[in-house]
Amino acid sequence: MWIERKALAQEIPAAAGLEIRELCEVLASLGFPVDGVAAREGSEALDVDITANRGDAMSHRGIAREVAARLGQPLTPLPPSAPEGAPLLEVRLEAAACPVYATAVLELGPGETPESAQAFLRALEATPKKLPAVDASNELLHRYGHPTHAFDADAIRGAVSVRWARPGETITTLDGVTRSLATADLVIADEAGPIALAGVMGGDATKVSATTRRVLLESAWFDARTVRATARRHSLHTDASHRFGRGADPAMARIARDLLVLRLQTWCQARLLGAWTAGAEPQRGTAVVLEAGLLTRIAGESLDLPQAAEALQRLGCSVVATAGSLSVLPPTWRHDLNIPEDLAEEVLRLRGYEHIPSALPPLEGPPEHLAPAYLQRQALARRLAHLGFHQTVTYGFISPEADSTFAGPANPPEGRTLANPLGYEYSVLRGSLLPSLVVSAGQNARQGARQIRLFELAPTYLSGPSGPREQATLAVVWGGVLGGEDPFSPARSVQEADLAGLARDLGIQDGPAIHRLAEGLFGFEVSLAALPLPQDRIIPAFRPFSRFPAVERDLSLLVPLGLGHETLRQAMASALPADALQDLRCVDVFRHRSLPEGRQAWLMRLRFQADRTLVGAEVDGWMAAALAAAEALGASLRA
Amino acid sequence: MDQLLPPEIDEAARSFASALAACGDLNALMRLKGAYVGREGSHAARMMDLLKAAPKEHKRELGAQINAYKQQWEEALKGRQTDLESAKKAQDALAAGWDPTLPPPVPAAGALHPLNRLMDRLVDVFRPLGFHVEEGPEVETEAHNFDGLNIPDDHPAKASSDTFYLAAHPELLLRTHTSPVQVRTLLRVAPTLAERGGIRFLAPGRVYRKDEIDPTHSPMFHQVEGMLVGHGIGMQHLKGTLEYALRTLFGPHTEIRLRPSYFPFVEPGCEVDVSCPLCGATGCRVCKGSGWVEILGAGLIHPNVLTYAGIDPTVWSGWAFGMGVERMSMMLSQTPDLRLFFENDQRFLKAMGGLD
Repeated sequence: MWIERKALAQEIPAAAGLEIRELCEVLASLGFPVDGVAAREGSEALDVDITANRGDAMSHRGIAREVAARLGQPLTPLPPSAPEGAPLLEVRLEAAACPVYATAVLELGPGETPESAQAFLRALEATPKKLPAVDASNELLHRYGHPTHAFDADAIRGAVSVRWARPGETITTLDGVTRSLATADLVIADEAGPIALAGVMGGDATKVSATTRRVLLESAWFDARTVRATARRHSLHTDASHRFGRGADPAMARIARDLLVLRLQTWCQARLLGAWTAGAEPQRGTAVVLEAGLLTRIAGESLDLPQAAEALQRLGCSVVATAGSLSVLPPTWRHDLNIPEDLAEEVLRLRGYEHIPSALPPLEGPPEHLAPAYLQRQALARRLAHLGFHQTVTYGFISPEADSTFAGPANPPEGRTLANPLGYEYSVLRGSLLPSLVVSAGQNARQGARQIRLFELAPTYLSGPSGPREQATLAVVWGGVLGGEDPFSPARSVQEADLAGLARDLGIQDGPAIHRLAEGLFGFEVSLAALPLPQDRIIPAFRPFSRFPAVERDLSLLVPLGLGHETLRQAMASALPADALQDLRCVDVFRHRSLPEGRQAWLMRLRFQADRTLVGAEVDGWMAAALAAAEALGASLRA
Repeated sequence: MDQLLPPEIDEAARSFASALAACGDLNALMRLKGAYVGREGSHAARMMDLLKAAPKEHKRELGAQINAYKQQWEEALKGRQTDLESAKKAQDALAAGWDPTLPPPVPAAGALHPLNRLMDRLVDVFRPLGFHVEEGPEVETEAHNFDGLNIPDDHPAKASSDTFYLAAHPELLLRTHTSPVQVRTLLRVAPTLAERGGIRFLAPGRVYRKDEIDPTHSPMFHQVEGMLVGHGIGMQHLKGTLEYALRTLFGPHTEIRLRPSYFPFVEPGCEVDVSCPLCGATGCRVCKGSGWVEILGAGLIHPNVLTYAGIDPTVWSGWAFGMGVERMSMMLSQTPDLRLFFENDQRFLKAMGGLD
């Protein structure tokens, strides 16, 4: 919200002596940080950030009250109330959401909005309408925070009532939009129907124009919740709804009416025909009791209770001190002081948060461990990063098409679709991370990356009867050219087998399906449930190992295509002494049409080691046994 | 003549050239040599046995054929051996007389995502104070995301213009902050809070708000939530903890500043500024000359939040904070565009995320 400096100083003269920087610091320390300062109309306007709970501060007077309380300096007094007279027309308050409605009827004179008021409005980025009744109401809102409205009195038919809208009623608001009203909309109506949306916007039919002769003023108080609901229902967020919606000051109803009358009298020689008020201010809430103990706990040190009382009084509270506590009645403009903690905050705020002491909270129990699932993800991310992979972060929602590529029929997208997505391409909570990684890989490829190594750790979503279930998932994509970037490492393209090896290295049981995602780009995806959890770092039992030399022998076999490596390996291993066989695996594959039909050549490497020196004949015997076991599966020694 | 030798020998002869070409190093070549011309069990040895057993009238012709094969294989093997040896020698020479100005082979290095790395770092910072990590789902209920956090039922954040809802499950939404983890955790530990001696945890994670994608907005971003519940917890404990954490993060001379602010789930509430880590609070572009940068929002847990979870606010009290990970990362790194964090260019990830 814009606060014009000269206007602020009119409300709190002591602020005039502050440097702009000092003023900004005072405001920030009170909870109103200044986002920027702009030179406007020969003065400065401060862009003040006001939190939603402080409707009372959304005006120059409101900010001035805060500065005055901090500086301990007086506010400029408001002009005394003018006497009221008998109602000139009937105003009926038919809903509890509007307990008080101050009004007046004036006959407008020839004068215009003074330049000073126009400059004030322009400094706040508001546009003067050069209609005194409209500009004065607007100027009042920014200066005192109380929204008012002026109707063309001659356009009003019969009595005025404040009531709930009736089914089927409509209103054309000042912005020219005709709106169908809900019965929860509070309206100002004359005998022909609604003439304003209470606290939100006036009606077009009764608006003040250049030809208006007589005006009916409205300075009321409307229930915040009702105004918020109507503003939201009609997507109509106005300066008035903003303030009423955050809680206006009911005591300002009469005062703002008087101020408005005064302005019209001065600006355009308006003649007051009558001023009166329907209803009365709502009862003030009950007092809140602040115990010294609570204040001490929150403040972190024992604070002097009379000083706390004095601080609250400076903010407009009525305070009754008793032994060890304060009974506090907040001022009419504060709707946010409802519990003792709220009052403690006010005491600290006025004193300055910089005075809060600093201490580490004592440990009251043993610290908890990090969860295994969390540690698993940390360890995986680090392992993959050290292996050369880059961790990605992509959006959790993707397009239905992209999702359908990997999600599978058991995971229908309907249960994972957003009701209000940003767009079609972001509408489904993804069943797979791979589509997003393919996009990131493509982007890297277009940027000329020689090798693409990406992984993501994120939830995927599984449709279920009670909503999408989240599954912590790892996906990896790998493509491009390996090596060839130094004199020792030959270049070759990334293969499907590289991903299988990576999956095995990560401890994934039952090698996951390796997808060919694009030309030379492969990937896999696994639920983290399929990965081993990190073991507790207890010290494992010592397992002795041989210190005698190992013997390595190769066996070149012709094996039938279709015979699995694991089958062959197990068959061969079962024919060998388990305590001597250290390793057995295929280390080379040769496929060529020169080989017998339906065969490939595997070079099997066997490694033996035992707690004694192995002799050649012994190993020869094992090799023969291994060969026999292989032959039983249809393999033969390659000649 | 072909009928003199068995077909497997002819096959072996035919496949010799490609097998030779496939030998990438001397070991492989030695294996191939053994298979073709070795003393025992090789193709050559087998042929010699055949020659011995052959009828006299074929011996001459067969001998010539065998010699031709053996000679061809031996020459080719020798040639390949020379090539491989000289290649090895060249490489050994390169290795022995390594010119350190040449680019050496380097192990592959990837990177953690900068956002994850920052979140991990925050966990590391809080671990010595006894904080652990709590996590919660991204798909949440209104109750956990709003009601349990003292957020009024007509709060604008609940509108479908601000929050993503599930089409088939209107009561479910994508969490708009990590604060529902507070609610879940407090509900879970409430019955055993006394035995535990309170609780203190961080909740890092992804959150969603319905913002269009632009240089400063993203519909998905990350937060780190911190919470502590104990006896007699006040603002001084919030300040002390954050002072410790932010000094660990930014250096021992870091100062922090609390300013009053408002969040429905805390009372009192505050914004926390840190003395600008980039310029040492002398004034720069990042702190806009003020020497301070806003780093997180915090406060003492609102009694309604404790009550909702079944914790007596007259016995227990605590503090909570919430921090925007992207915001902090962008500010400290001066990354100009939020979208870079989700594009996942490997160059960006390597430079910004890196490794521990």
